[in-house]
Amino acid sequence: MTRPEEPSRSRYLEAAEGLVVTASATDPTLYLALHPGGGVTAFNGHVDLGTGIRTALAQIVAEELDVPFDRVRMVLGSTQAVPDQGPTIASETIQVTAKPLRQAAATARRHLLACAAHHAGCEPDELEIVDGIVSRKHPANWAIAIGELVRGQLERIALDADCPVKPVSAYRLVGTGQARTDIPEKATGRWAYVHDVRLHGMLHGRVIRPPHTGFDHGEHVAHNLLSVNEDSLAGLPGIVDIVVVGDFVGVVAEREEQAARAADLLDVRWRKAPAIADLSAPEDPLRDHPASARVLADNGNVERGLDAASSPIARSYVWPYQMHASIGPSCAVAEWSEERLTVWSGTQNPRFMQRDLALLFDMPEDAVTVERMEAAGCYGRNCADDVTADAALLSQAVGRPVRVQLTREQEHGWEPKGAAQVVDVRGGLDLEGGPAAYDFETRYPSNLAPTLALILTGRVSNVASVTHMGDRTAIPPYAFDNMRVTVHDMPPLARASWFRGVSAMPNSFAHESFIDELASAAEVDPVEYRLRYLTDPRAIDLVHAVTERAGWTPRTKPMTMEREGDVLYGRGFAYALYVHGTFPGTAAAWSAWVADVAVNCRTGEIAVTRVTVGQDSGLMINPEGVRHQIHGNVIQSTSRVLKEKVEFSQTGVESLEWGGYPIIQFPEVPEIDVVMLPRPDEEPLGVGESASVPSAAAIVNAVFDATGIRFRELPLTPDKVLAALRDAGLAREPEPRAQTRSLPAPTRTKSRRSLFSSLAGVAGGLLAGGFLAASPWHSAIRPIVKPDPATYSAMTIARGREVAAAGACDVCHTGVDGTPFAGGRAFETPFGTVRASNISSSVENGIGAWSYPAFERAMRRGISRDGSHLYPVHPYPSFAGTSDADLQALYAFMMTQRSIDTPAPKTALSFPFNVRSLMAGWNALFAGSQNFAPDPQRTERWNRGAYLVETLGHCSACHSPRNALGASRTGADHLAGGFAEGWHAPALNGEGPSPIGWSEAALYDYLRTGTAADHGSAGGPMSSVVASLAPLPDTDIRAMATYLASFSDRGRAQGSEMAVPASDHSKAVIEQAAREAPAGNRIFEGACASCHENGAPIASLSAHTALHAETPDNVVRTILKGATAPALLAPEDKRGGLEVMAMPAFAKSLSDRQIGNLVRYLRARYAPDAPSWQNVEETIAQARKAVGR
Amino acid sequence: MPARSLSLTVNGQSHLLDLAPDTPLLTVLRNDLELNGPKFGCGLGACGACAVLVDDRAVRACAIPVAAVEGRPVTTLEGLGGPDRLHPVQKALIDEQAAQCGYCLNGMIIAVTSLLRRDPDPDDAAIRSALRHHLCRCGTHVEILNAARRAAGAMRERTHAGEVE
Ligand code: FES
Ligand code: FES
Repeated sequence: MTRPEEPSRSRYLEAAEGLVVTASATDPTLYLALHPGGGVTAFNGHVDLGTGIRTALAQIVAEELDVPFDRVRMVLGSTQAVPDQGPTIASETIQVTAKPLRQAAATARRHLLACAAHHAGCEPDELEIVDGIVSRKHPANWAIAIGELVRGQLERIALDADCPVKPVSAYRLVGTGQARTDIPEKATGRWAYVHDVRLHGMLHGRVIRPPHTGFDHGEHVAHNLLSVNEDSLAGLPGIVDIVVVGDFVGVVAEREEQAARAADLLDVRWRKAPAIADLSAPEDPLRDHPASARVLADNGNVERGLDAASSPIARSYVWPYQMHASIGPSCAVAEWSEERLTVWSGTQNPRFMQRDLALLFDMPEDAVTVERMEAAGCYGRNCADDVTADAALLSQAVGRPVRVQLTREQEHGWEPKGAAQVVDVRGGLDLEGGPAAYDFETRYPSNLAPTLALILTGRVSNVASVTHMGDRTAIPPYAFDNMRVTVHDMPPLARASWFRGVSAMPNSFAHESFIDELASAAEVDPVEYRLRYLTDPRAIDLVHAVTERAGWTPRTKPMTMEREGDVLYGRGFAYALYVHGTFPGTAAAWSAWVADVAVNCRTGEIAVTRVTVGQDSGLMINPEGVRHQIHGNVIQSTSRVLKEKVEFSQTGVESLEWGGYPIIQFPEVPEIDVVMLPRPDEEPLGVGESASVPSAAAIVNAVFDATGIRFRELPLTPDKVLAALRDAGLAREPEPRAQTRSLPAPTRTKSRRSLFSSLAGVAGGLLAGGFLAASPWHSAIRPIVKPDPATYSAMTIARGREVAAAGACDVCHTGVDGTPFAGGRAFETPFGTVRASNISSSVENGIGAWSYPAFERAMRRGISRDGSHLYPVHPYPSFAGTSDADLQALYAFMMTQRSIDTPAPKTALSFPFNVRSLMAGWNALFAGSQNFAPDPQRTERWNRGAYLVETLGHCSACHSPRNALGASRTGADHLAGGFAEGWHAPALNGEGPSPIGWSEAALYDYLRTGTAADHGSAGGPMSSVVASLAPLPDTDIRAMATYLASFSDRGRAQGSEMAVPASDHSKAVIEQAAREAPAGNRIFEGACASCHENGAPIASLSAHTALHAETPDNVVRTILKGATAPALLAPEDKRGGLEVMAMPAFAKSLSDRQIGNLVRYLRARYAPDAPSWQNVEETIAQARKAVGR
Repeated sequence: MPARSLSLTVNGQSHLLDLAPDTPLLTVLRNDLELNGPKFGCGLGACGACAVLVDDRAVRACAIPVAAVEGRPVTTLEGLGGPDRLHPVQKALIDEQAAQCGYCLNGMIIAVTSLLRRDPDPDDAAIRSALRHHLCRCGTHVEILNAARRAAGAMRERTHAGEVE
């Protein structure tokens, strides 16, 4: 169990001994507690968001108190203990929140010196404190540890805001690199994040969100739920409760995987979410959104300046919605009782959280404890608050502690986004080339993203409020004489909150791009041009320092740097002083970038190769920490500029995982050279965000330098860049491929009728053809007393087990819950649901009362014991050829298996399909009753294989096309490929789509382990077949392989004899595929490549049969449903060498549109010579219906 | 899938658990064995936060059913080394202070360990490519790359000194 609890403030205030520093004599707000052992506990209302604030604050306390660093323990955020210092935002911790802490430490230090002086009988200034020991300076003959000074009684003193603090010159800890205290535990798995809280008796919850993913306001919100069908979870193990409050829906289970499954299966019906404007292209929706203008500055005369401009320039800049994209989806634990609610939360704002929870449950605030735990870095506000309230609601419902883990899809979908923004700038040059005017207008749809549960339960209104957050760094840093700055405040579109740099990122993108344009128009070096109008001396110092370090050479026109083949190089500059907080705001650290880029004119890829970044942070508490923060900001913001944009569907956020929202990967990370200006005598400034702010303009300016093209909308994805390069005549088109891909609509040569869909044809055909003439009636065979299992020898039963395995009986007849032979599995057909029957030895509901003749008749002729006809879903035409001995052994085996006495649901088809006797006519036509006849020309092994494949194995039931009456075709069409449950069952007659022929060895591997190195893994129904074959001896599997391989040696190379066509791996093919399907390429890189390009042979797609097939069915279905681990499919003794891998299902994570893009990319990349697939959308829609959400 | 009894070997210890065989390995490690090292990041095999070692290979525990590792020993971050007996890769990450929030750290350490077992002297490109599908949102990449290089050096030295891992 892991139950971290901070002792409450009163524990310190009521301790027996020690020294505590509170806000005042009457205000018990606690800042510092010194303990008799010499330890110090310090309290701060802000929390560590992964920036190392915990360490920096401890440094400040240790410095001011002169105690060793490792004696200071920081308590951050927990509401029972720490001061209320507001949310951890806007880089304020060091600048604002640390101040009282430092004063408290100074006050305590003064007090300690006074006490010690009293003991020593001297003046305080004759004493010094070093490493927690107070000693007399001259003569050094007296010393006492501060732990001793606070022993014996508790003293409480008030913080003195005027108490002098140490001069910087006396610092020994602050300003030196300090190793972070949390990293050793994090590197060894000992640290407890909020995800790692485990309480006694804790249950697991999951939530189910409404369909308007990522939107939290509007009339429909909180009124979307139609129904929750609790029966949909009937029979699932571990379910404790289903909780519905307004539009809040959650499930609670004993175990986490049970809760996850329940959330997937719970049948929840919602109203259709209303259509939204296309926020994937945010410019128009933002312009159309009602807004109110707020003028922040109006100097000189802008209109007159514009009129006088020699060449007016008007530009618009568009910033997309982006995500915080925490690596760990939010998680929380709650423990609710009538009197008290305790939550373990990763919230950025413990006090807000406390208030929200009090509001949600209508309980007093002080009855709510928020234990603040670290979570994955969030750079603003993610779903941490939402999930905390979710956990509290579920805990209240079940009266036990509940942990809720959001899914990746929920975090991506519902986290309040970093808002999109549109900025218009008008300006121009005056006659001297100076800025004639600067008219800046910015549009920012913000909101406060109230905690979701409050809205979904109807506790707070679904009408969004407008916040004034678009003004961060809206005032440009340059002295423009005629300048007007206007913010258009507007209500939210998508759910949004602050995200690192907030509106300063887009605003600076516009400022710093525009001034670059002015410089270029004036034909002045952009750095020099800026310096003419910068007035802030620290800014000027910084610009000099950074450009010098980068070796900046002046440039007055683009494309002056060298070019290498298809690659153009460029450098760009940008500067920003991040101003945050309510306008006019507070300045954080100054930052400037020189970015070096390489633009590939063939692929459109932009590489940021190097960033020289300078920062003036004032006094740096922990310089190494500052350096790491700068690195983090540079990397994250480079990612935002090059790659990141939230995509939206018509109803909500579409980017729900890392393929739909890719972020930077290691190979793309630039070299970073950091210049930190030493300013030890200046106030410390926030460093959490500043270095992000110049990123976009610096990169875009560098791309201009390389290509002469200005990008004013982010992100700079290769397809967008390539299109612009084409327009500019700079794109290098690839050599046309020798073989162009022709795109004839494929003539479907193979019937798509599957085993089941063809029943429609059966009935129709039979009715029309009057086949009823064939005698439909058969007599019932009398029930018998169930044979005594003892009548069968162990050998017979063992043989029967193998026969059942070869016949894959349990693939279809397995119970819904996996109970062998219980029946009930539904096979959807266009005219109703056919259910597999119970074939266990149950007398009542199974075949326990069937005599052998009845059993044999059913197997060979498709007639049930009672004389009724079975549907040819039961492949009796194949079974007809089974040997008597096998059938008898199978009978023995079945009769000795466990009796399952629950009846399987009955097949209920509507007329005419319910007329089972129609099948009589069908049988007259198609059902065989021949015993299998071996071919004497062939080997015994081949014949054994033929027997298994053609009779028991009934491979043709799926792998042969069906005729109009639903019978497997014979002759040339035998094993020529068919469909099963919507999956394409490829041809086994050697005409299959695989680019590499199937060798006997490959077939053996595939049937035995579910995987063949050159062909891929079994998916869909075939994976169950492989699992079913497990009990068969190797000799039988080999025999099947021998038989099947005898079809495929039709002059085709096999296995390693023919390597995958080299072109499949070539760079040209990869690039061409990316050009053809750029969106699919992105999804592949983010969602698929982690396994499919990791070098594991089973995951290689190069020769995958499904990618070369005529239709994309199997690819689509595999994406939707995933694939079982081959290591699981294979019999245990064959697992050793197999890769431990499985493919997750993406049905919940990718939209139909995304899957379409992905499928197109896969085809272009891995089957470059095959024609593009047609009807991809249709196939996806069909498969989606079959698979469910 | 109905629960059955499964035997696992994790960090050298054997466990007998009654579980649905398709339970994700990650859930079992975190909830049943109470291991904090492997983290849930995506459940889709895309981010690497959940990585563990199976036969020296970094494997994504979120995506594989627990039954797939029956009979194959699993090593988690905890099993590599503890605070008093750090694995060289852990030590290198600490020395380079290669964490901001640290949530991705598990995957990074497992991936670097697995890389160094395959290739004791990887160049920069090999390190970057081995870590390519391990995501870090905090931007700790520079420090992680430094740590990987440092770990490679330390492990080579150890090998020269005749120690075995
Ligand atoms: S959590 Fe397993 S890869 Fe992301
Ligand atoms: S350190 Fe936070 S995700 Fe890597």
